Formats: sequence, structure tokens, C-alpha cells
Amino acid sequence: MRAPRSGVRLFAIAAVLAIVATACGSDSGDGSNASGDGACTPSDTPVLTFAAYSTPREVYGKIISAFQSKWKEEHDGQQVIFQESYGGSTTQAQNIVNGFEADIVALSLAPDVDYIVDAGLITHDWTTAPDEGMVSTSVVVLDVREGNPKGFQDFDDIAASGVGVLTPDPASSGGARWNIVSIYGAAMHGYAGVAEGDEAGAQSLLTGVFKNVVALDKSARDSIKNFEAGNGDVAITYENEVLTAREAGLPDEAVYPPSSVLIANPAAIVDVNVDKHCVRDVAESFVDYLHTDEAKEYYRTVGFLRPTDIAAAAAGDEEMGFPPIEDLWAVEDFGGWDALDEKLFSDAGIFTQAFADAS
Amino acid sequence: MASAAHTVQRKRVLRAPTATRLRHWTLRGAAITYLVAMIVVPVAAIISKGFAGGLDTFREAMASAGAWEAIRLTLVTSALAAITNAIFGTMLAYVLVRYRFRGRGLLSAIVDLPFAIPTLVTGVMLVAIYGPNTPIGKAFGSVGIQLMFSQLAVLLALCVVTLPFVVRTVQPVLLELDTAEEEAAQVLGASAWKTFRAVVMPAIRPAIAAGALLAFARGLGEFGSIVFVSGNIEGRTKTAPYFIFQLTNQFKPDQAAAVATLLFAISFALVLVTSRLVRTERKEAKA
Amino acid sequence: MSVVLGPPRLVDVTPGSEEMRRRGRRRALVRGAIVAACLLYLAVVLVAPLVGIFLSAFSEGLPTVFETLTAPEVRHAFFLTFQITIVTLLVTTSLGAVTAWVLVRHRFVGRRIMNALVELPLAMSPVTVGLACVLLFGRGGWFEPWFTARGIQVIFALPSMILVTIFICIPFVIRSVAPVLEELGTEEEDAARTLGASTSQTLFRVILPNIRWGLLYGIALTTARSIGEIGAVLIVSGMLKGQTETATIYVLTAFEERMDTEGYIVALTLAAISIVMLGVIEISKRRKIREVMG
Repeated sequence: MRAPRSGVRLFAIAAVLAIVATACGSDSGDGSNASGDGACTPSDTPVLTFAAYSTPREVYGKIISAFQSKWKEEHDGQQVIFQESYGGSTTQAQNIVNGFEADIVALSLAPDVDYIVDAGLITHDWTTAPDEGMVSTSVVVLDVREGNPKGFQDFDDIAASGVGVLTPDPASSGGARWNIVSIYGAAMHGYAGVAEGDEAGAQSLLTGVFKNVVALDKSARDSIKNFEAGNGDVAITYENEVLTAREAGLPDEAVYPPSSVLIANPAAIVDVNVDKHCVRDVAESFVDYLHTDEAKEYYRTVGFLRPTDIAAAAAGDEEMGFPPIEDLWAVEDFGGWDALDEKLFSDAGIFTQAFADAS
Repeated sequence: MASAAHTVQRKRVLRAPTATRLRHWTLRGAAITYLVAMIVVPVAAIISKGFAGGLDTFREAMASAGAWEAIRLTLVTSALAAITNAIFGTMLAYVLVRYRFRGRGLLSAIVDLPFAIPTLVTGVMLVAIYGPNTPIGKAFGSVGIQLMFSQLAVLLALCVVTLPFVVRTVQPVLLELDTAEEEAAQVLGASAWKTFRAVVMPAIRPAIAAGALLAFARGLGEFGSIVFVSGNIEGRTKTAPYFIFQLTNQFKPDQAAAVATLLFAISFALVLVTSRLVRTERKEAKA
Repeated sequence: MSVVLGPPRLVDVTPGSEEMRRRGRRRALVRGAIVAACLLYLAVVLVAPLVGIFLSAFSEGLPTVFETLTAPEVRHAFFLTFQITIVTLLVTTSLGAVTAWVLVRHRFVGRRIMNALVELPLAMSPVTVGLACVLLFGRGGWFEPWFTARGIQVIFALPSMILVTIFICIPFVIRSVAPVLEELGTEEEDAARTLGASTSQTLFRVILPNIRWGLLYGIALTTARSIGEIGAVLIVSGMLKGQTETATIYVLTAFEERMDTEGYIVALTLAAISIVMLGVIEISKRRKIREVMG
């Protein structure tokens, strides 16, 4: 019995078509503008890949638009294309280290950017930029149901038994780590029912809160959406997330703990990728733009983010509805992220132990 | 040439001409390469990554918060959905085969809908009608029943997604079943229920079982609808597939692979068993 | 098969008797109840949700629907889904048909294993498929060095999204064509051969026409499945808006961005497309059954 030869022909045709289609697809997929190895010829329409954490989609949408118009004006109508990706800050950083070729990162906290530095993908000192590389700030708040029916005021209230807490997963979300740092720092400063400097007290406060955690979503945005879907009694989140939700007409309400960490969000170009894609000029220009007053205005009005100067941030902003914060402190108060990482998130760290006790 | 090739029904009789054998082997090579490259390699990657370190990786994975609950939830809800659809699926198959009415084709198409609709869209649809901000959702909410973002939501999503399985396995058996026996029983004075129980059920029982097992296996791996409707709450509505997704997102691919292997080993075993069941049934029915 | 009905009761079963009339009424009631239960179940799990998504998509009126469907991000998402589906169809149809042929017409060692392999993708959760792709092509993966050396981006780009979709769709064409080929038998092909037909003539004039409904059924299932894929592509795509965002991923991110109506609109569109595919599935299923029954 003979088998049809045409079957093989069909296969060959299909294979060729598949390879061609894939090649066409992957050309547009990696956004590469480099002409192979060696010489870098910038494209007429540069394509920038922008990776940010999960919450500032709205404001970066606006900022990117504004930048594109500005660039067009100043560069003879040249169109810059942005490919935006939003997700948990730590996941984004890990993706980039694992091969996601982002040109610019705007992440939730400095350690996530340093993670990319450690992998050798960022080769310049990004902290030499204005404001030590930070572009926006916010504070940690408690997102509660309309009218604050359970009367939450501070972190010890949510550590009480029977409370359902939402906070994201520190393994993938930057916001999660800000939340933990804030609880620790507030406790160490003598708030939330803990004596000043009492590390054991801070640890048991963390245990209490995490005992009540209902879901560890993969990003801050997922966490607040879970809360809005009706789960839990309180979500620990960014101030700007709650205000963005209210702007969208949702009944989220923010309760401000008296002591909070200043959430500072960094932005930087990823050297290896911008050189590979030949977009260094545009990318550097964009990051510079993020530090301008124009961008700061967008951060404030669209992003509901506070200014990068800690005193100004603590004072609040009446027009935008940012209340003043009684005790606003930065990570530097505790020795910076390196010290905090060691103290809280290392194998013997306070949070690591608290989380183990809570499970 | 034609006659020589024509007599080769059993290859041991005559050696086929080289050209034919070449074609045989090219085709066979294509098929084998296709299956090995596309199926064997990925599966090997999962199993090797998951169990390279022995059972430790698996134990580590299962030590995460909500791990065992996720497995349990997946097993229980898939089983419940399979049972629910076994009952309704059998009824639907009976209606489609034995009753004549206008719109029977439409009913048949509706039953097949879950095979065509994206699972994510299924989840979106469920939230659209039963979500906490909808009239129905609010009504149930006021009596304390949360329809969406709950374990009930997981069960509901699985019921939708696995709906067609039992119908499709039972329908052909019912079609082939000779109504003469049923009619004889009724003439002899048996009630409808007795007829069904004594005449129809024994014939369709294996088909129901096969369909239910397939539905169960399908439910174990469901992701698209559940990720949308469940709320993914640790220890309450997080399912095994979401747990694997979470581990992958946390860059613990070895742990994810360990759990994934367990899950797909169960499903694959079930699929193979029911495949054989269905095939032997079809052969028996023809005999 | 013998039927044991218990000791005989003395019942008047002459047609038209009181008992038979009562039985008839009860039977009609039972029939009604069964149909009602089925319709109620379908209403709850399928019909009501369809109504719900329809209402939600149009909740902001027709202009929003047009705006959404013509937005560049949405159009690109659909185009990406389309690209993935086309390549998946090409590969799984051609190679699937060949594999079905080999499985049915050839006898060789390992055939049973191959048969089992074909069932495997049906048993795998899509997240596992995505994970496998990451394990093979992500950093440290088995094949990653080869591709990185040549500057080919697999993960976080189109190729990986195509690969996972192909994996998931492998069984459909094979499982729909194989039974048809089996039922068909080799008589017609052999007859054609003895009459002097060439292989391509046999293929195009005898085999393909005979399996066309089975093939179409498999193609329709593959199309519906590729369009609807979410779990695997979510893991491998990187979710680059306007770049590696399929229509299904767009729906997910739209809800994340609190653009619920846009999410409903695109989801409804996907539902509409799959309902069309359902029509093709139903028609080809019926014709395929006829094909198999000969």
C-alpha cells in the first residue's frame, strides 16, 4: 500500500510557512532596531519597551503621550512608539533579568532596580539622577469599606482577630514590601500599639497582620481589585491606588496610619537593552522628562502621587486631597534598603519569621 | 508496480518497493518528529525539572501557604462538577435523543457551546450576570450567599466548562440503544422510572462514567474561567492550576513543575482510561 | 439481555384503559419535568451569562462599542490572535492529518504509545504548558542558549505564544480525522490504485473528499481553541500592551485597568466569533458522523 507523497509536500509547505510567519512575527516582536552585531543605526521610528509596576498605568499612559507629542515637536515629527507592560514590580524585574528586553523600567522600589543592576543589565549609577533616581512618592494607607464600618485607625487594628486583610505577595509585588516595611517602621517608631524600638513587638504585629491575610495577590493592582470585589475588610495599599479607584467612581476609602514610610519609586534606563535596540538617546530623554516639572504635575494630578521631597510629601496637598502625615519617614531612617532587606527579609529576618509564625 | 504494491497488505509477505518504503518512513518520521518534538520534549522538561531533586522540591512546594487546600479544592470541585454534569448531562442526552421537538438542533448546539467559547469569556460572562454588583448577585448577597469570588463560583465555572462531556458520551449510546426493549418493558407493565432503571441505565452507565471521568480530568486543569471568577483567595478559592501559575510567577519553576506533574499525571491517567473505555464501547456497540 | 421486573402485578394494560391513561399522563408530566430541569440548568449556566455579557458590553451604548473595537490596541490584539491561530492551523492540520494517517494505516512498534501521546495535551492544564515553554526557552532553559546565540527571542514574544497554542491544539485534527480514516477503510484507495491513479490523484480525489468533514470538524475545534487560549499565553507573553497582547489577554488587562466595559466588549466579540465557529462545528460534526457511518 502506498502512502501519499503529497502528505510530505503539505508538511514541507506548512513548515516553511510556519517558519516564515514566525520570523515575521518575531521581527516585530522584539522591537530590535539594531542592524545585527556591531554598528548601531537608530531607526526612524524608535520603539521603546517600558516596564512598570502594576499601579501607575493611568499616569504613565498620560506621561508617555505627552512625551511623544513633545518629542515629535522637537524632532521634526519623529514618532516614538512605546510598548508598555505593567505587572508586579518584582516580577517585572525578574522577567527582565530572565530575558524580557525592557528599555526603561519604572518600578515600585529601589531594590527591584538594583536586582537588574546586579544582573549586569543596568551599568550606570542610576541614583545620580535628580532625587536619587526617584520620580514619584506615595504613602501606605489602609483601604477600607465605605464609612470605615470597622473603625480601623492603625496597623494594630487590622492585626486584631477576625479581620480579613488583603496585601500582595512580597515575592512578586513591590507594594507588598512597602507595606511590610511600613508596619515595621511604624511599630519601631512607637505607633500601632508597640513601644518605640521594640523589635519583638514589631515582629508580633507583623505576625498578627499576616495571620489575617485572606489572599496574597501577585500585584498591588490585583490586591486592591480583589478587595473591591468584596473580599476582606481592609487592603493595605498605596495612597495613589485608593485615589485612582475613587476617581474611577469606586467607594474605596483611605485611612491614613499616623506613621508611614515614604514610598519612593525609581525609574531608570536598562543600558544593555537600550544599546541593543539602539534607542539610548530617546530612552535617556524620557527618563530625564520624568524628573521635569511637567511630569511632576502629571504624577500629582493624574497619578495622585506625592512630590519627591519628603518634607513636601509630609505636608500633604489640600487641593488633591492628600492629608498631611504625622510621622513620615524614609527607608534611610533604618539604614536604607540594604539594611532593611537584611533585617526583615533575610532567612532569619523579622518578616520571614513573622510570616512563618502566621501560617 | 501497482500490483506489487497492492499485494502488500501484510508487510511480511513481500518487501515493498523502495520508493514506497521511503514514503512510509518519511511520513512516519514526520509524524514521530511532530509528536516527539511538540509533546514528549515539553513533558520531559516538566517532569525532569520537577523531580530532579527527588521529592524535596514537591515537599517544598506543598509547604507554601494554601497549597494543600488548593489541591483539595480542585479535586472536590471538579468531582462535584462532574457529578452534577453526570446527572444533567444524562437528562440532556435523553431529551436530545428520545424527545422530538422543534429547536432540538439549537439545544444540541447550546450544549456544545462550552467547547467553543474561550474559558476566560465564560468567566467574564458569569461575573457579568452573577457578580456582586448585579441584581442577581446583590439579591443573593443580601441573604449571605456570595455567588462570585467564592468556592461556589469555582463550582459554577467548572459546571459550565465541563457541561458537554457526559452528554457527548451518553448520546451515541442512547442513539444505538434499541427502543424495543424499553417498549417491551412498558407493555409488560413497568413504570417509566423502572424502565429507565432496569433497561436504559445498565446500557448507559459506562458512558456516564466515561463522561464524568473526562469532565473530572478537564476540571482539574481549568484556569481561564476560574482565574476570573474565583478571587484566588489563599486557602479558600485558590485552585491547583492557579497555584502552579503563582509558583511560576514567583520564579519557582521547579516547584511549579513538581505540582504540575502531579496534576497532569492524574488527568492523563483518567484520559487514557476513558479513551479505552469509549473505544471498546463503540466496538461493542457495533458488534 | 434479560430484564427482571419483579413479580408480575395484575394491571390492566389494554390500550385506552384507565391505568394506561394515567400512565400516559404521568409520563407526560415526567417528560415535562425533565425538560424543564434541563432548560433551567442551561439557563443558569449558559443563557443567563450570555445575556449578562451582552448587556454589560452595551451598557455604555453603541458608540463605545465602535470606539473600543477600532482602538489600535484592540485591533492589534485581534490581529495577534489571528496570526497565532493561522500558524497553529497550518501546522496542526497538515501534520495532524499526516499523523492520523500514520496512526491508522501503518502498523509499527510504538503505535499505541503514539496514540496515547496524542491524548496528552488534552490532560494538561494550560498553565503547565506555559511552564514547559518557560522551562525550555526561558533563561537557563534547555533550548535557550541556541536561540539567544542567534538573537531569536522566543519567550515574551510571538514564537512562544504560537508554540504553546500548537501544543494545546495537537489532538483535535488527529482525533477527528483518524476515526473517519478508520471507518473508510482502504477499499476506495486501493480501487483507485488499481485503476492507475497517482498518489496525488488518490489524495485529492479520493482521500481528502472522504475525510473533509472530519477535517473541517478538527479545524473548527482548533480555531475555537486557539482563539480562546489564555493560561499558557499569559505565562509566556510578558503582556506587552499592543505587542504581545492577544485578544484574551486584552480582556484580562482591561479589567485590571478598570476598563470593564471595554473588557466586556472584546469578550463579547470573542464569544460571537466562537459561536460562529460553533455553527461550523455542529454542521461538520453532523456530516462527519454521516461520513463515518458510510
